[in-house]
Amino acid sequence: MEKIGFLVTISLLIVLNPSNAQDEVLVLDDVQFDGDFTFDDDLFGDAFDESSSANTNSWLDDFTIKISQQFSGQINNHGVEIGPHFSIPREAELETNRLGANIRYQNAFAPGWLLQASAQIRVYLNDDYQYRAEGNSVDIESRGNEFFLQRSFDQHSIKLGRQTVVWGETSGNSVLDVINTTEFRDFNIIDIEDARLNQWMLVWDYFGKDSNFSSFVNLYPEFNPAAVRGSPFFFEPEFNLTDYDRDNSMLFEVGTQWRKSFEGSDISFMAAYLYENQLRYEDPTTLMGDSVAETNDFFLLGFSANRAIGKLLLNFDLAYSHDVLADSFNFPGTASLANPINLKKDQIGTSIGFEYAISNEQSVSLGIQAQMLLDEDKGLLPGQSLINDGVFGSWLVRYSNTLMNSDLVISSTLQGDLAANSLLVLLGADYTISDNWAVSGQIINITSNDESPLLFFAEDVRLSATLTYSF
Amino acid sequence: MQDNILRKGLVSLIGLLFLLPLQSIAQDLSAREIMEKLEENRRATSNSALSRMQLSTCKFGVREGKITCAERPRVKSLESVGKGYGLDLKDTRSVAILLDPPAERGIGMLSFSYDEAARDNETWLYLSALGRVKRLASGSSDDETEPGSLFGSEFTTEDQDTGKLDEYEINVLEETLESGREVWKIETIPNAERARQSRYSRTVLYIDKERFVELRVEMYDQYGKEIKRMLGARVELMNDIWVARSTTIMNLVTNRLSNMAFLEMHTGIDVPDEFLTQRTLTDAAFRETELEKLRAQID
Repeated sequence: MEKIGFLVTISLLIVLNPSNAQDEVLVLDDVQFDGDFTFDDDLFGDAFDESSSANTNSWLDDFTIKISQQFSGQINNHGVEIGPHFSIPREAELETNRLGANIRYQNAFAPGWLLQASAQIRVYLNDDYQYRAEGNSVDIESRGNEFFLQRSFDQHSIKLGRQTVVWGETSGNSVLDVINTTEFRDFNIIDIEDARLNQWMLVWDYFGKDSNFSSFVNLYPEFNPAAVRGSPFFFEPEFNLTDYDRDNSMLFEVGTQWRKSFEGSDISFMAAYLYENQLRYEDPTTLMGDSVAETNDFFLLGFSANRAIGKLLLNFDLAYSHDVLADSFNFPGTASLANPINLKKDQIGTSIGFEYAISNEQSVSLGIQAQMLLDEDKGLLPGQSLINDGVFGSWLVRYSNTLMNSDLVISSTLQGDLAANSLLVLLGADYTISDNWAVSGQIINITSNDESPLLFFAEDVRLSATLTYSF
Repeated sequence: MQDNILRKGLVSLIGLLFLLPLQSIAQDLSAREIMEKLEENRRATSNSALSRMQLSTCKFGVREGKITCAERPRVKSLESVGKGYGLDLKDTRSVAILLDPPAERGIGMLSFSYDEAARDNETWLYLSALGRVKRLASGSSDDETEPGSLFGSEFTTEDQDTGKLDEYEINVLEETLESGREVWKIETIPNAERARQSRYSRTVLYIDKERFVELRVEMYDQYGKEIKRMLGARVELMNDIWVARSTTIMNLVTNRLSNMAFLEMHTGIDVPDEFLTQRTLTDAAFRETELEKLRAQID
C-alpha cells in the first residue's frame, strides 16, 4: 500500500509541476469582456512554425510508445467462507508493481502496403505476484501482439499475420466475440478489448459497392492461456495444466461475415467453424503426471444489428452454436475447476444492449448476454447436471462523465451474472496531465454468494493506480 | 465518453471547416444579404476539402493585460477530408484521423451529416483497441440536441452554425473597425423556436468587408451577458480563399479557451466516394494510399 501512496504522490507532483503552468497568470473567477483585455496573438503561433516542419517524416513517426507504471492491491482484510467452519483468509497485500512498455508500429511503406506490429514488455518488480512467484526476483516478460502485413488493391484487402477478428455489436460481452482467445490475468483487466490475444490468420476483406465481406482462416488456433502462478485467478490444480498437444492433429478455423449499412443501421450475418477458446482438461489416466488438454470444435451461425435513434444506439447479437461442450466453464482462469461431462450440445445466445448519450459529457450503456443450451437434459446420466442449466449469462452497465475538456474522465462499471450471484463494481478516474502524461485510478469491489466462482474474491476491494507516458 | 466527444466533434469540425473560409467582394449589402453571402461561400468551398489542423485547449487567465493560457495547452492535431453531397451539396461526408496526441493517434471517424432536419447524422468510430468499426449515436441534425463539442474543445456545433437564416432577426449595427480592418458589425437574434434550442440569445459578428472573414464574434446568454468570444486571426489567402487560419474561442463560464489553427487547407480536391466509407477507417493501407493521391493533387 505504501507503493500506491508513493505513486499518487509522484502523480500529484507532476500535476502540480510548475512547468505545467504559465508564470504570473491571474486566473479570474468571473471575466468580463469589457474591452480591457486583449488577446496574446502569439500564444498559438508555434502551431504554424510546426507546420513548416510537419512534412519532414522520420521513421520514428511510425512508432507509438506507451510506458506505464502500475500498482494495485487488495486492501480489505477479511476471510472468505467457502464452507461450514472453513474460511480462506484474504489479507491486504500488494498484487502488482510493474513497469510496462507497449510499442506499436504502423508503416504504409509503399502504395497499398502496410506493416503493423505491436508488442509489450513487463518488468515485475518488488512484491508483484509474479515477482513472488519467481522466488522474489525481478522478472521480465515480453509478448508480441499484432504482427501483420497488409496488401490493399481495388476492392480487396488481404492481411497476413498475427491479428484479431472481432464480431458483434455489443461492447464488452457479445456472444459473437468468440474468435479471439483472451487472457484475464488479473483484475486490472476488465474490458474484453484489453484482454484479446492475437492469432496467426489470413484475413480477406472485400469492399463492395453496397456491402462488405470479411473472411478469415486461422491455421494455428490458440487457446486461452492458463492462469499465471501467483495471480489472483490462479488455483493450484491437482495436475499440471499443459498446452494442447498438436502432434497428431491439424487444427484450423475459418469464418466469414457479410455486412451492410443502411441509414441509421448496420447489419451482419456470419458463419464460422471454430474451436472453443477454453481448453478442457481431463485427469491423466494413470492419475499421475500432467492433465490432458482436449479441444472442442463447433459451428457458429450469427447475426448482428444496430439501430441509431437520435442519441440512443440499440445493439443486438444472436448466435447459434452447434456442438459446443456443455460443461464449458466461462469464468476465466478457472476452467480446471470444471467437472467435465463431455457432452456436446447446441446453444443459442443473444446479447442486447443500448448506449445513450445523456449529454456531450455523459453517457450510459447497458449490455445483457444470455445463453441457453438446447435439449439440456438429453444425454445426462441420472444424477448428473450441467454446470450451466437454463438461461445463463451476464450483464454490464457503464457510465462515464468527462470534465475539463476531456482531461478528466470519471467512469463506473457494474458487472454481474443473470442469476444475481455476483456483482463487480468498478469506479475509475482517468486524468490527462499533459499531451504525454496521464494518470488513472481504479477501485474494484466484488460481492458474491457461494453459487458463483467469484466467491473466492467476495468482499475483496482492490485499489490500483497507473501512471503513463506516451510518445 | 471519448466516443461521445469525438462523434460530436466531427460533426462540428465539418461545419467549421466550411464556415471559416469565405471569399467575396464587399458590396453594399443588407444584413440578410451579407449572411446569405456567407452561406453561399461556405457551400462553394465545401464540395471537396483536405485539411490539417491543430486544436489547443487550456484554462486561461490574464497576464500584463492580455488573455493567455494559465496552463500548458492540450494539443490535438488531425487530418480531415470532406465532400458535399445531395441537393446543393448541403449534405456532407467526412473522415477525420487524429494524428496527435500519441495516446489518441490513429483514431478515425467517419461522419455523414444531413441537412434535412428529419434525418439523423451518422457517425462511425474506429479505435484499434476496439478492433472494429462502431456506429455512434450522433443525434439529430435538427439541433434539438445539445450543441456538440469539437474533440472536447470549447468549439461547438452552434458556434459554427450560421445556417437557417429564416430563424434569425439580422441587423447591421454599424460599420466600424476591428483589428484595423473595416467590418460590418452584425447582430443575429434567434426567433422563439430557435431560441429554445440555442445557448445564445444574441450573437454579434464582426465581418471583414473585403475578405468576408469573421474577425470577432460575441455570444450572449439569455441575460444579455457575454459568455463566449471568438477571435479570428492570421487571415491569409489559401487556395484563393481568405481564411482566418487561427481562430480562438474563449468561454467565460469555464474560463477555458480553445484555438484552432488551420495548418493546411485545400479545396477543390477530387475525393473519390470510396474514400468516404467505413473502409477508410479499418483499411490503413487503403487510407494511406488514397491520402497520398489526395496530397498529390495539391502538389
